[in-house]
Amino acid sequence: MNRPRSAAFLAIVFTAVYAFAYVIAVWQNYALFTYHPATGALALGVEKPHDGPAMYWFGWMATAGLAAAGACLIACLVPERYARRVGSGCSWTVPLGVLFFFAYLLRGYFLR
Amino acid sequence: MLIALLIVHGLFAVALLGAITHQTAATWLPARKQAGSFGGRFRAVGAAGYTNAIVALYACTFVLGAIIYPEFRMSIRGVLEELEVPAAMGAFELKEHFAVIGLAALPAYWSLWRQPLAEEHGRARKALTSILAFIIWWNFLVGHVVNNFRGFGA
Repeated sequence: MNRPRSAAFLAIVFTAVYAFAYVIAVWQNYALFTYHPATGALALGVEKPHDGPAMYWFGWMATAGLAAAGACLIACLVPERYARRVGSGCSWTVPLGVLFFFAYLLRGYFLR
Repeated sequence: MLIALLIVHGLFAVALLGAITHQTAATWLPARKQAGSFGGRFRAVGAAGYTNAIVALYACTFVLGAIIYPEFRMSIRGVLEELEVPAAMGAFELKEHFAVIGLAALPAYWSLWRQPLAEEHGRARKALTSILAFIIWWNFLVGHVVNNFRGFGA
């Protein structure tokens, strides 16, 4: 396998899968952990707020990071002839779609 | 300490804004001859030369933002709710998600701008750079406006 091509392929896989996994994690609230900023406590999984707000943002990023890392591991096993079919278009179409989806998901803030 | 971090976060954001705007302008409207005007000189830069700086500045700005974000959730978010400004809250929610998408785009962005530039990735390079520019401009403006609701050091 050509090394520079593999790095580019993995970079595209990481970007596309991370963006997609992140939006799913936010939409369905699949946070790997919850951070309670008032107490500085961390809890595994999704936990309801207590003693102040609960933050899931870090947990969503961790969930997406795990998914993207897993996808990259699987992508390492993909033969070169299949890897070539993954166009660089995925590197921008998936993030762009995710931006629009977030705008749709949060439309309630702007339509009150 | 948090105010100092917020100022450094803002300074990194200004540098990032300048770098990505230069690169985007040079990508969409490259100067073909010796530039004489300000606009011409603005886009007559080697766009690829900004890539490493943009990646480093984005990462630094993001990390600083993530450090001060819990304080925002605890003190400033409540003020916005009391002021009943849902659009500002929504814009900040978009900022936090857009920032993550921008961070996730950095590996592909860096790869697309790696020298020598691959001709077949020209469209993807232009599109991803523009998306990153949009995210950076959005986050800068929203961060600035939301910060003004509470006021410096309040």
